[in-house]
Amino acid sequence: MSPAYILKRIVLVGYTLLVVSLIVFAITQILPADAAVMMLGENATAEALAALRAQMGLDAPIWAQYGHWLAGVLRGDFGVSMRTGQQVGPVMIEALGRSLLLALFSIVLMLMLALPLGIIAAVRRGRIADLVVSVISYIGVSLPEFVTATLVVLVLADWLQWLPATGYVPLTENLLQGLRHLVLPVLTISVILIAHVSRMVRSELVDVLHTDYIRAARLKGLPGRTVLYKHALRNALLPTITIVALDIGYLLGGVIVVEEIFALPGIGRQLIVAIQSRDLPSIQAGALIMAATYAVASFLADIAYARLDRRIQYD
Amino acid sequence: MTPILDITGYCLDYATPAGFTRALDEVTLSVAKGEVLGLVGESGSGKTSLAWAIMRHLPESAREAGRISLVDKDLTTASAAEIDAFRGRRIGMVFQDPSTSLNPTLPLGEQLAEVLEHHRGLTRKQAWAEGEAMLARVGLKLPAQMMQRYPHEASGGEKQRVVIATAFACQPECIIFDEPTTALDVITARQILDLFGELQAETGVASLYISHDLALVSRVANRVAVIHRGRIVEQGRVQDVFAAPQDAYTRDLLAAVPRPDHRLVEAGPGMEVKALVEVDKVSVRYGRKPFLSKLLRRENTQFTGNREVSLSVREGEILGIVGESGSGKSTLAKALTGLNPFEGELRFAGRPIGGLKDMDRAYRRDVQIIFQHPDSSLNPRQRIREILSRPLALYGTPEQRSDKTAIGALLEQVRLPAGYADRYPHQLSGGEKQRVAIARAFASRPKLVICDEITSALDVSVQASVIELLVDFQKRFGTAYLFITHDLNLVRQIAHRIAVMYRGDLVDLVDVADLSGGALHPYTRSLIDAIPAPAAIRA
Repeated sequence: MSPAYILKRIVLVGYTLLVVSLIVFAITQILPADAAVMMLGENATAEALAALRAQMGLDAPIWAQYGHWLAGVLRGDFGVSMRTGQQVGPVMIEALGRSLLLALFSIVLMLMLALPLGIIAAVRRGRIADLVVSVISYIGVSLPEFVTATLVVLVLADWLQWLPATGYVPLTENLLQGLRHLVLPVLTISVILIAHVSRMVRSELVDVLHTDYIRAARLKGLPGRTVLYKHALRNALLPTITIVALDIGYLLGGVIVVEEIFALPGIGRQLIVAIQSRDLPSIQAGALIMAATYAVASFLADIAYARLDRRIQYD
Repeated sequence: MTPILDITGYCLDYATPAGFTRALDEVTLSVAKGEVLGLVGESGSGKTSLAWAIMRHLPESAREAGRISLVDKDLTTASAAEIDAFRGRRIGMVFQDPSTSLNPTLPLGEQLAEVLEHHRGLTRKQAWAEGEAMLARVGLKLPAQMMQRYPHEASGGEKQRVVIATAFACQPECIIFDEPTTALDVITARQILDLFGELQAETGVASLYISHDLALVSRVANRVAVIHRGRIVEQGRVQDVFAAPQDAYTRDLLAAVPRPDHRLVEAGPGMEVKALVEVDKVSVRYGRKPFLSKLLRRENTQFTGNREVSLSVREGEILGIVGESGSGKSTLAKALTGLNPFEGELRFAGRPIGGLKDMDRAYRRDVQIIFQHPDSSLNPRQRIREILSRPLALYGTPEQRSDKTAIGALLEQVRLPAGYADRYPHQLSGGEKQRVAIARAFASRPKLVICDEITSALDVSVQASVIELLVDFQKRFGTAYLFITHDLNLVRQIAHRIAVMYRGDLVDLVDVADLSGGALHPYTRSLIDAIPAPAAIRA
């Protein structure tokens, strides 16, 4: 892989984040919330408000405020929460860590199940196995997270009493308890991911199995397993890599519902709290960190893709 | 001599919802050691089905009868394990298009070495060393580098050499060649054919050479079998079949092969006839400067499609343009129709055309284009009537627009029944679709028609009838053609002058009579030398 290609992608990531930071900052400016009023309460005197605004730099022109904020972000300083008075950055990064843990487990479980299911469905296309996988994945795709979540809680936590329904225990504190608390949210998220990734693998693999080069590989006398795993799967999985990277974005932004249901203090939940309390620095930090994670995931997917398909970097 | 491949009374049917359709009917043929049997047929004749049947690569809907023997083993009754043991080892296959038959994400060396590992039990290291030697044997200059390359990093000819090396890798007794040069450029195809001849003589492998190209088969094969609608209609020594064909279909097929000495048009317009189109130093560049390259001040990475091409077409003249793929033939056609922006001067009937903005309705009426694939140039969701009513609405006379039989008349002009107006394109054959495209182009009574490889997707007999139609129109309407093709024999039959393009440059522009002698560009010379001369064919 050429360094130029990697450099190009890194420049692109930086550019994307710059645009995102602009949008995030602009949106928080439009929000009907006056930071000074939020902090001092509605009965504060005009002088006190003006003094606070001057102290916080809120009376400066908007581009100067943006510059000041961006300069802070680049130093790793996201500002102080209006709600708690704590530094926003460490709180959000910690929450991101919990969300990434959830995402990691979900993706591993998903890959362990979705790949075999997709492969079986494609190889036995039109047979019973294919039909079963299709039906399962349609159900998985069509169920909203809160329904799946409710079902797993009902069965595994309420009836069988195997697992805790909600809450979070850090893995460093108590590994077993920590894992037990992660099982239900991971299951819920995986169901949805498995459904659409297995469908993706199936349709890609079906297409690849019909190409000339797969026929050529068969007619060279290679065993069926070699044809499937060495020749077909490699090509069929390429688009799946991109999809998984997009799923990481979904896992960070879209699982707010799941984090809320299972009382898991991830970044989605932090963001909701921040929005509810109009905590502008927290909103900005949360949104930007999510976007950055998303961009890095896409970047890694692009690199992996280019590594597996040498044609890419020539585009 | 004992046959290596022996097929007797082989029948193949495919189950369809409407019952069984016969793909192969009582096929009997054999190929001996050291022999090349040419199997010639048009699309749908069953020649590829036969190849799949031999390779035991049939769909589940197939039902067979008869015998296919490899030496003494009947393949039709072979078990899955036995099939695995002979495929690629005792029978190899070379495929039509090397750009689709090689896995795009594996190095070329891997795709060759895996066969050696699997069939000959070599270690990975031995297989790569052996593979490198094989690549050197098939004439690749840098075999070690080629082993490491991916398919997109090699040219079509190089890839086909790798495919051939793979087929010969396990010293099989029999190899099926399925149109191995059809997807290649003329000169590359010639080199691949030479390689085939060498390896064939050296290894004495029994070869079944499948092709639609009679002239080509007459050069490579010892014996030839002609297949038509699943039946072998004629079989014999090449000289005998081509000199004295017994079957009516073979005779038709031979008559349809383009032969340069058999001119189909009268003498072209003289020098006194004024030029209809003048192309003066027209250049076309593809691609825009990428943003990042501009930022980094990198060299311009634009690709030149045409470099200062100058030529003219006189009224009623047929100007042939030949060249390999990527030579800029179609680029020129696109520039003339406004599909590509261009630099330079273009004059039509004396009027300067600076670019797309000058290509008004009058220009469009006079300059029409017919594309290579009627499947993609005819809207699949429109009936033929709708397709043909567009040019009439745009350019037709008021009488034509109100005349309900106008569309029928257009169809009859291209020798299609008027009743086809209510059909959809998919209900027509390839040749019929191309006739509809021709009818559409001629509906506006144009002065110039650009034909961009319009017969290259058609069978040779269909091609002959389409060409006959075009020549007839040229005589009747005095239309000028810009006839773009890679088939030099075909263009020598119908063109008055021939322009040869090579890598974006116009390298030759000569009168067709001067092609046999005269001073020519070296590329033109190699092009003429590379075309299999249909000398053996005397219909």
